[in-house]
Amino acid sequence: MAPTGAAIEVRHVSRTFGSWTALRDVSLTVNQGELVTLLGPSGSGKTTLLRIIAGLEEPDPRPETAVFINGVDISRQRPDERKVGFVFQHYALFRHMSVFENIAFGLRVRPRNARPPEREIRRRVGELLELIQLGRWASQYPSQLSGGQRQRVALARALAIEPNVLLLDEPFGALDARVRQELRRWLRTLHARIHVTSVLVTHDQEEALEVADRIAIMNQGRIEQLGTPDEVFHHPASEFVVTFLGNVNLFHGRVEAGKAVIGRLALDASRALPADGETARVFVRPHELDIDVHRTSGASVRARVLRIQSAGPLVRVELASEEDDTVRAEDTINVELTHQRYGELMIRVGDTVFVRVRDARVFVEDYSI
Amino acid sequence: MRLTVILIAVGFVALLVLLPVIAVFAEALRKGISVYAASITDHDALSALRLTLLTAAVSVTANLIFGVAAAWAIAKFEFPGKSVLLSLIDLPFAVSPVISGLVFVLLFGAQGWFGEWLIRHDVQIVFAEPGVILATIFVTFPFIARELIPLMQEQGTEEEEAAVLLGAGAWQLFRRVTLPNIRWALLYGVVLCNARAMGEFGAVSVVSGHIRGRTNTLPLHVEILYNEYNFSAAFAVASLLTLLAVVTLLVKAGLEWKTRRDRRPLAVEDQ
Repeated sequence: MAPTGAAIEVRHVSRTFGSWTALRDVSLTVNQGELVTLLGPSGSGKTTLLRIIAGLEEPDPRPETAVFINGVDISRQRPDERKVGFVFQHYALFRHMSVFENIAFGLRVRPRNARPPEREIRRRVGELLELIQLGRWASQYPSQLSGGQRQRVALARALAIEPNVLLLDEPFGALDARVRQELRRWLRTLHARIHVTSVLVTHDQEEALEVADRIAIMNQGRIEQLGTPDEVFHHPASEFVVTFLGNVNLFHGRVEAGKAVIGRLALDASRALPADGETARVFVRPHELDIDVHRTSGASVRARVLRIQSAGPLVRVELASEEDDTVRAEDTINVELTHQRYGELMIRVGDTVFVRVRDARVFVEDYSI
Repeated sequence: MRLTVILIAVGFVALLVLLPVIAVFAEALRKGISVYAASITDHDALSALRLTLLTAAVSVTANLIFGVAAAWAIAKFEFPGKSVLLSLIDLPFAVSPVISGLVFVLLFGAQGWFGEWLIRHDVQIVFAEPGVILATIFVTFPFIARELIPLMQEQGTEEEEAAVLLGAGAWQLFRRVTLPNIRWALLYGVVLCNARAMGEFGAVSVVSGHIRGRTNTLPLHVEILYNEYNFSAAFAVASLLTLLAVVTLLVKAGLEWKTRRDRRPLAVEDQ
């Protein structure tokens, strides 16, 4: 099959390390100029996939396996021939070189006939220093920079070789929360400006949702779902995707007449449900639940308020279900209310209230993609 | 308390280190400067000095190549038999130098495994310079590798990976990234290796055959002179060896100071 015009095309890649399978027949296409994040828990294979694209890791040899960059099969190219920019979690800056020399490295190691003249190197590094806003730090050493500054230098160093694609392995993983958020925004702006095709690995769902054009959610060596942040958040393809993207309440119910039924609650499923009588698992995000002081309709769950945490943009309420077994809720029920709604309700710890489901995702037991 | 501890330390050093060093020079110069000069410019002494310097130069070079290769392999790659290699590197530390010398006699001596073959091809190893050099290389080969392995393991492989992805070939990678990162540890290993190569007695004594003017190194020459009751000459030659040791010590101190200064900023934590 001929390669498409995609920036990156990974076909049927598997990778085993002894008895451990890191990747199971993964295929992925990244379009030109796109920023795709690989999101998953540790051990899901996301870093292995990134390292295979870079050439730092070899996929298992199988006839159908191939990796293309800009339509060229790079499976047999050495990592130094692939022209990919790579940013490591722990920066991997050359500790004995100044910021300037770190960024210039990729230009200086080129063979003599491809190496730009010194004047051109200075100009290019100068531009990149400008881009990462570290012009004043050119002669400093990595050990003299903060973590956030180091990672910006690492990014400039990767961009200096004008890479075909930019690969980032947990680039903000070693930074504290505030710097991480700052850098995330900065990366998004930068990407909008230079449009280099990028793949970013992260285990932080908030980070993935914020920076990505598309997200590939990985679990146990497979891509569970690939889609825009909206798609994966609002239309998750599997239970794993729902539970991985933020807090979620789980209710157990049954399928009756094409609806998922939890006690007196009947919910429309977003997809066709199988035969009646099957057990249905219903996932509801905390902000998709509402609380009423009195039972307004049959479709609610009676519960007791255990805890209220009102410091923050939303009020988090923890409740224990008081319904019989048909409304078995896993652990406690978590609800997020706006401060306005909380003010209207005037609930306190110990009150008995009614939890109403506004939206939900239904999966049937044994459901598999 | 403080005074007592200091006195004990200084007293020991004075008694066990400083005094012998002074004694060496005092004995060497006891019969006057002309006897001293004659002793160290004697043909046999100069020959021993030459062989010592040659042995040190060859051993250091050989172990430099072996040490860097072994440390690189062990620190940066996974391969079967890695732990065996690591233990084997330590072998010369564990084995008595005399045994190390004997091994070479067993291998290359006239009655040894390769003895017949060597005689047929007119190659002499034992009781000749090659034997002295081989034994010295064996005894000193852990020094450089041992110095580099922990450092290279601590530094990991990420910088190398980054360099390769930026387009660096193998030689560029070594010259621009790996070597600068290990240079001080490498020099320190070279200094230690050199000190041991110049001072080695046991292993060399077994394989050298003590042929004056041909297969004697400085330590062997000192012993011969001493056994002949030629104390002034023995101490004069010993003083040469001592001077070499002092130079080595100074270089080592300088390197330690430099390593400490270079490492300090690396300890700065993120954020």
